[in-house]
Amino acid sequence: MSTHPTTAPLLRTVTVAVSAERAFEIFTRRIGDWWPLSTHGCFDDEAAGVAFEGDLLVERSKAGEEAVWGEVLAWEPPDRVAFTWHPGYAAGQPATEVEVRFRARGGATVVELEHRGWERLGERAEEARASYSTGWVGVLDRYAQAV
Amino acid sequence: MQALGDPTRRAVFEQLRSGPRSVGELASGLPVSRPAVSQHLRVLKGAGLVTDEQQGTRRLYRIARDGLEALRAWFDSFWDAVLAEFKAAAEGEEKV
Repeated sequence: MSTHPTTAPLLRTVTVAVSAERAFEIFTRRIGDWWPLSTHGCFDDEAAGVAFEGDLLVERSKAGEEAVWGEVLAWEPPDRVAFTWHPGYAAGQPATEVEVRFRARGGATVVELEHRGWERLGERAEEARASYSTGWVGVLDRYAQAV
Repeated sequence: MQALGDPTRRAVFEQLRSGPRSVGELASGLPVSRPAVSQHLRVLKGAGLVTDEQQGTRRLYRIARDGLEALRAWFDSFWDAVLAEFKAAAEGEEKV
């Protein structure tokens, strides 16, 4: 069984010189301290913060609006956290999934981020196109303006 | 996103927002040479942000808006930038 190249998971890895416990903590409970919201969020410069709140990953604007980026699927400190991923989508639109794994290696931690579920967009092409027009394309356009 | 980090390349991308264009049309609207525009288009195409197709004697370039490829290419850069911030935060704090 071969995976279609455009629906294969995206994998990104970074090694951080801290323990897995610390890496997990900073990625999750302290996500609001470092996430680059002005360029990688829904509200640009109007963003007030982002946090895991219960089972949701939520970005809030200064004006009090909220954008739910996804729902938590797994919360297993210090090994992994996983959540659905649909910032910019209206509720009910097809969502991809993000899993972040933390593996201790020596005194450091290898953090592997897997972004998968692209086939859900592909199988529902019509809906995906509709959501691009209001969702991700809007984010892409704002990003292109920002960089 | 590196593919959009260059001002001229961004200008090429911006021009394609209003519709498909040939290299010649793009060059005539920008203060750069045709070969330079071609080079920028190659980078944008390599990043999955732009697609091209032959129409008669012309090759037209357009933004790959509907493509999973464009979305994936964008997320490649997206996660790299996010993880770089994460690394800086995690390690910066450790040194304090």
